[in-house]
Amino acid sequence: MKLMTHIVAGYPTMEESEKIAMAMYESGVSFIEVQIPFSDPIADGPTIMKANEISLQNGTTPRDCMEFIKRIKKKIKIPIFIMTYFNIPFNYGLEKFCEDASDAGVYGLIIPDMPIDEEKYEHYISLCKKHNLHAIQVISQMSRLERLKALSKVASGFVYCISSLGTTGTRSELNPKLEKYLKNVKRYIKIPLAVGFGISTKEQVKLVGKKAEIVVIGSKIINLYNETATDKITAIKSFLKDLM
Amino acid sequence: MKNLKKYILNKSGHFGKYGGRYVPEMLIPIMEELEEAFYESKKDPLFKKELANLYKNYSGRPTPLYFCENLTKKLGGAKIFMKNEGLNHTGAHKINHCLGQGLLAKRMGKKRIIAETGAGQHGLATATICAKLGILCTVYMGAKDYKRQLPNVFWMERLGAEVIAVETGGQILRDAINTALKDLISNPEGTHYLLGTVCGPHPYPVMNAYFQSIVGKEVRKQIIKQTGKLPDYLVACMGGGSNAMGLFHDFLDDKNIKMIGVEAGGKGIHENDKKCDHAARFQTGKTGVAEGFKSYFLQDKDGQLKSTYSISAGLDYSGIGPQIAYLKEINRIETSYALDEEVLEAYKLLAKEEGIFAALESSHAIAEVIKLAPTLQKDKVIVFNCSGRGDKDLFILSEKFNFNLS
Repeated sequence: MKLMTHIVAGYPTMEESEKIAMAMYESGVSFIEVQIPFSDPIADGPTIMKANEISLQNGTTPRDCMEFIKRIKKKIKIPIFIMTYFNIPFNYGLEKFCEDASDAGVYGLIIPDMPIDEEKYEHYISLCKKHNLHAIQVISQMSRLERLKALSKVASGFVYCISSLGTTGTRSELNPKLEKYLKNVKRYIKIPLAVGFGISTKEQVKLVGKKAEIVVIGSKIINLYNETATDKITAIKSFLKDLM
Repeated sequence: MKNLKKYILNKSGHFGKYGGRYVPEMLIPIMEELEEAFYESKKDPLFKKELANLYKNYSGRPTPLYFCENLTKKLGGAKIFMKNEGLNHTGAHKINHCLGQGLLAKRMGKKRIIAETGAGQHGLATATICAKLGILCTVYMGAKDYKRQLPNVFWMERLGAEVIAVETGGQILRDAINTALKDLISNPEGTHYLLGTVCGPHPYPVMNAYFQSIVGKEVRKQIIKQTGKLPDYLVACMGGGSNAMGLFHDFLDDKNIKMIGVEAGGKGIHENDKKCDHAARFQTGKTGVAEGFKSYFLQDKDGQLKSTYSISAGLDYSGIGPQIAYLKEINRIETSYALDEEVLEAYKLLAKEEGIFAALESSHAIAEVIKLAPTLQKDKVIVFNCSGRGDKDLFILSEKFNFNLS
């Protein structure tokens, strides 16, 4: 089982983001997802949404985020993914965005509101390929059979499976249908599966880790950061080490 | 030019480079299910009959096309006709797509309907059809809109709807749409999102334009009966664009008819990095992707959406329907804007000359008519869409006119 953790670049500040990323790396996570904040993050729950809002209030720009990744990539020797919403690369210039991400050492892009249906209009997957980036595909338990087949043809790197219904954010219970759902996905998708959304406890990580190659922790770490009064970084480190 | 009427209702939901379905994977099956149900129903004579019956006997359609004789005389130019959508049940054009989508939701076996609302008219119409069809109803409303459109909140609750004030972001329409989409992501089975304008992912723009097109269809018959010819100008206000698409759609291929969409000019076309004093997308906006579709948005250089401002909650939105963006790009429609102060003058003039209170949204269209009519010959005909009546604006207007209600 490998862990992927998530940060919102610029939340609460770029300096803190860098410290959090370093803490994740030093704790032994395998991948880091860096979210470039967007004003209207429709797949995100309250915690990450708020972090997006605050980062933007601080004046974080997509270019700042690219610089940030370039900077941490010098110290952090694990794959880093950019997660954001399509309007960001669209306004940046999609090709330029892929080029700059690739130059910064990014491993792949996770853009939840860029479904395969729009490929013929946006050429997102082909531009990612051209610049050696994995265009990470997302799957939900609602995804129909034909959809899984279509996604399997373009999937690259790993496939991100949404654990349960809803937006990002911690949930008390795991989806009871998760095992069946992942089994079904594995019939079509032959590359590693990452499972995220709502995973926050050691027990949940263990359980999911038995069924998928990668477990994703997102909102939980932001919550932990917000709720810890002093020495937030140590709290994140000990939380992550405990999960390994 | 191709057959625009047909093209604007095309099955892929792309209009030139605009439209599409830019949603997270979780929403794809829901949109596919809705799309299938819509195109099936559209062909079903029984569905059409049921809808026609509700339009007529529940909502009171056809709504009148009224010749504003006094206003015409006063302005001294073109003849002015008003399509009075304010006389619909619930007081605005919003009931047109609510009845359509309500029947669709029932057909799909949905037990719960959610909706966003700005001015409250769409929420009110949604709560109304939910009461009628026996479906649970939740309406999301930006906290700022909730406060300024309290009468509609009151009525929605009386109809049995749960009205939730959305405290995130700018607390207006955009935040309500975002929250409703998240509700749908969390409750994909059994819930129908009754989106209230020609925005959002496919099939919403096509579907709502189709349900609203009844407005223009009626106008065609009515204006020929009353004047013996087609109009020269069509004027409508534009928030998301539903009442404008409703009026324009049937006339898209009548090339001699000019169409003008009026946006909210608010306090003037100025803005800073984060905030606009207006909601005029075609003045300072650019192409972007948000809330599931590609269109014109008010956004900064990085693509962060800006907050907007308008005296009318219904026009206070940073995006616009993708079909409208396309029609503007190919120069089939023109766009303009009206400032808050012009809107209030227009509201007053219509009340004094014709004895009709227009909604603040619709008063934007009247403000444009006031500028346009005197520049035209007397034999020209303007039809404007009075998309809603003004009752709901009681509190905003009493404050503007310094009248103490309590």
